Amino acid sequence: MGAHHAIELRGLIRGYGRRAVLKGLDLELSAGKVVALFGANGAGKTTLLRLLATRLRPSGGHALVFGHDVVRNGHEVRKRIATLAVFGGAYATLTAREHLRLDAALRERRTPDADTLLARVGLADAADALVRTYSSGMRKRLGLARLLAAEADLWLLDEPHAALDNEGQDLLDALVRAAQARGVTVLMATHERQRSRALADASLVLDDGRLRLLAPEAAP
Amino acid sequence: MNDLLAVLWVARKDLLHETRSKATTVATLFFSAVTLVVLAFAIGQDERLLQGAATGALWVALAFAGVISAAQSYQADLEDGAFDHLLTTPVPRAAVYLGKLLANWAFMLGLSLLMVPVTFVLYGASFPSAWPWLLATLALGTLGFALIAVFYAGLTANLRARESLLPVLMFPIVVPILLASVRASGAIVAADDLELALGWLRLLVGFDLVYAVLCTAIYHFVVEE
Repeated sequence: MGAHHAIELRGLIRGYGRRAVLKGLDLELSAGKVVALFGANGAGKTTLLRLLATRLRPSGGHALVFGHDVVRNGHEVRKRIATLAVFGGAYATLTAREHLRLDAALRERRTPDADTLLARVGLADAADALVRTYSSGMRKRLGLARLLAAEADLWLLDEPHAALDNEGQDLLDALVRAAQARGVTVLMATHERQRSRALADASLVLDDGRLRLLAPEAAP
Repeated sequence: MNDLLAVLWVARKDLLHETRSKATTVATLFFSAVTLVVLAFAIGQDERLLQGAATGALWVALAFAGVISAAQSYQADLEDGAFDHLLTTPVPRAAVYLGKLLANWAFMLGLSLLMVPVTFVLYGASFPSAWPWLLATLALGTLGFALIAVFYAGLTANLRARESLLPVLMFPIVVPILLASVRASGAIVAADDLELALGWLRLLVGFDLVYAVLCTAIYHFVVEE
């Protein structure tokens, strides 16, 4: 990973039409850290994650992932990241096993042992069922399996605890801790205050388009 | 990244979706058949008129079906953020476009092969001796149509008025492809004039090349917001 920060933001601005959502964010996040990102609905948490995932272009400023600019070196950024969408990001007419094969092919990774991976996230019995038969929690669990299979250096998680039952949330926390032990950096946008703060090395709040660090004892 | 493999995987994903949902197949088959029947009914009993209109009617049916197919091609992608997830993998945007194009073209080509015999029966046209050239026209015409349709469907995929905007945006661009396709297939089926058909086919190849290069090169602007 070299000397680069996992995430570096320099005066990052993003708006939709005339509405500015991110008003000049500055951040340096070291590799291997787990950071929780809080903020009210519409504060720009998902916007920030999508910018880092190269799905949105900044209106101004720069965002770098492991030293790669998300606009100029988007392809290099995408080699290092994995995302977990709010609703799982899966295709309704594919099976869990087919998703893992598709991801592996697109990421040029060896096809993972789908049975082991899906058993790990509690989907062993649903490996060959179409995702359209899944509950929202099962879709999220499939998202977790795809996250693990991606073997990425940076996880960008959008509402990771949402839709998961207690057991699923415990599983997510365990996976994040295990990933951090392997050196993976995790940025998670969340409303799940208690769990996320217990999991994270630091907590940030997006408020009025700006980032501020949350003191360990303060409530968001 | 082996970009060619990525193209094939994206195409496979779209074709798997279609074989399982059958949403586009049912809609386009029904719509094409209705278009062909209504046009034949409007033209009337005059055999020569019917035979002369056969290839035109075929391409009208294919064009309308093609719009439905293109609009549907992003439907599955938009559900639950699946396309977003696909676009965060290290696959060049051009490979995503070409994969979706390949699936859409395969679908339209299959549909056109089904529609040809139906059209010939309904319009009383005789099967041409130069049928390989008719196949080439169908392949090049549907390719040109799919090139533009998949591009513009991507452009309008996130818009609320996508169903009405897609034909408005793409039909002016696709007109040269449709004209060349109608003329080429008409020359093969009705006039048996291969020389005339070859002229239009050369034009189709030119259009396809230009659209293929342009659409592939600028597709990343379509999917990055």
